[in-house]
Amino acid sequence: MGKYILESNALCVGYGTKRIVDDISFSMEAGDIVCLIGSNGAGKSTLLKTLAKMIPPVSGSAKIDGREIGHIREGELARIVSCMFPASPVTEYLTCLDIVENGRYPYTGMFGTLSADDREKIASAMDIAGVTELSGRYFHTLSDGQKQRVMLARAICQEPKLLLLDEPASFLDIRYKLELLDLIVSLAKEKGIAVLFSMHEITLAGRIADRMICIKDGKVDRMGTPREIMRSDYMERLYDLKKGSLEEGVLNGIF
Amino acid sequence: MKTDNKRRYDLSFGLLFVLLAVFAILNLSLGSVSVAPGEIAKVMAGGESGSVSFNIIKEIRLPRLFGAMILGGALSVSGFLLQTFFHNPLAGPFVLGISSGAKLAVALAMTLALGGGFLINSWFMIGAAFLGAMVVMGFILAVSGRAKNSAVLIICGIMAGYFCSAVTELAITFADDQNIVNLHSWSQGSFSGLSRANIKIIALAVFVCLVFVFIISKPMGAYQLGETYAKSSGVNIRMLKVSLILLSGLMSAIVAAFAGPVSFVGIAVPQMMKGLFGTEKPAFMIPATFLGGAVFCLFSDLLARLVFAPAELSISVVTSILGAPVVVWVMLKKRLGRRA
Repeated sequence: MGKYILESNALCVGYGTKRIVDDISFSMEAGDIVCLIGSNGAGKSTLLKTLAKMIPPVSGSAKIDGREIGHIREGELARIVSCMFPASPVTEYLTCLDIVENGRYPYTGMFGTLSADDREKIASAMDIAGVTELSGRYFHTLSDGQKQRVMLARAICQEPKLLLLDEPASFLDIRYKLELLDLIVSLAKEKGIAVLFSMHEITLAGRIADRMICIKDGKVDRMGTPREIMRSDYMERLYDLKKGSLEEGVLNGIF
Repeated sequence: MKTDNKRRYDLSFGLLFVLLAVFAILNLSLGSVSVAPGEIAKVMAGGESGSVSFNIIKEIRLPRLFGAMILGGALSVSGFLLQTFFHNPLAGPFVLGISSGAKLAVALAMTLALGGGFLINSWFMIGAAFLGAMVVMGFILAVSGRAKNSAVLIICGIMAGYFCSAVTELAITFADDQNIVNLHSWSQGSFSGLSRANIKIIALAVFVCLVFVFIISKPMGAYQLGETYAKSSGVNIRMLKVSLILLSGLMSAIVAAFAGPVSFVGIAVPQMMKGLFGTEKPAFMIPATFLGGAVFCLFSDLLARLVFAPAELSISVVTSILGAPVVVWVMLKKRLGRRA
């Protein structure tokens, strides 16, 4: 087993034979926080879906815990990788507790009976994500932001080595956005979970990310520390902004 | 929180068992000849064979009671599986045309067999019904693959149902005179005319299906969070989907083969049970929908036999009157919930 949780080499992601992002090479160790940035439709979600084994890679290699994703069975992968997707589940009569309990799926037996240990982990994950009071509420009655926090609790109690978060903060208000960032840092630095996430609020993401991967025009345009990436001239190019429209101070304000 | 839920589940199961017992006794005792509950007990204990009440209970009412219970339960579980599969609370074997497909296949098999002069046994009927159910299911799956809109899915199912029913009527019209009466009452849906041998086969087939349904209850629960999350929890999606299709198809087929079409039970009962239990977790819903379906069909069969006695209503007349409003309620609740 190598030291990398995630290792991609000349990976090309897309749908079928359609190439969305080409030549992605990067690696993550335990405790790394990496943020994907790029404009809408750049292919951030496609990359995350590929790493979650939702879609097969078009070409190249993606290794999780030292093994090619395609060779890891779903049940086993679920104990290494947990995810949060942009769309929350649509349910009828499931409570938030039911949803979070689903995170223990890879660890329970044939009929999904929860042990005392499982229940403890569920309670602690709900506590960490701040959704303990929502426990008995029906999931479909929650606001979008509350749903995101419940889904985060589910992802945490799955006890992953690698956490993939696709737009985890899109519906959160500023307070919960900041809490989410703190949470990601503590998961990474205290529990050693590698976190790969995409986020549109680049200034916020830049505060916690060890590295940022910028995707543009079907390839990895640049990769580096937030200090290297977050420059107004580069941001203007990445997001096709007019020159001078992004003031240097806005980006610098975060450091 | 935890104890509240448990209390609700216990009370709900308790209620279902009480209703089941009450309707079972009423079904056995009421009819053209009334048999007092005390006498029923005597008959069950062995009683004197040969007496009128003994024959009525043992040969007619008891098989019919078990038929209604087991087939009603199977139909409801089948509906619950389909609702899980399609993520659509309005899915059910009747609405999606699966029951009608099974009915058509059985009607064709029966008319051909009767015309050819050879006998058909229960297993052959189940086989034919299953084939018919799978053909319609294939059509529905093809539609659902193309149209993501759930209304389109339901409309195509209803159309498939009408189509199959129409062809069934055609087949029956051209059937041998002597057998028309028999075929006609079956094609309208009824729990009557089941022999004790039939019941044994039904019980065995449904029991086997239920065992498999319980085995897939864990992945079903994960699948309620949607395919993406289910997959990321480690569910083998293809295996689960195939199992759901085969099991729901098989259970609707068993019902169609022995009782003909029984409408709305597959949609209405799972919805009522979700409301009663306040959950949709498969571990509770599988036993709950089975029991609920049994209760619902016993009650419906009681009404079908008694309301216009001595004339008997077809079972679908009663289940539609009771079940259709539930479907409307589900639709309105969904619509209102979205607005709120």
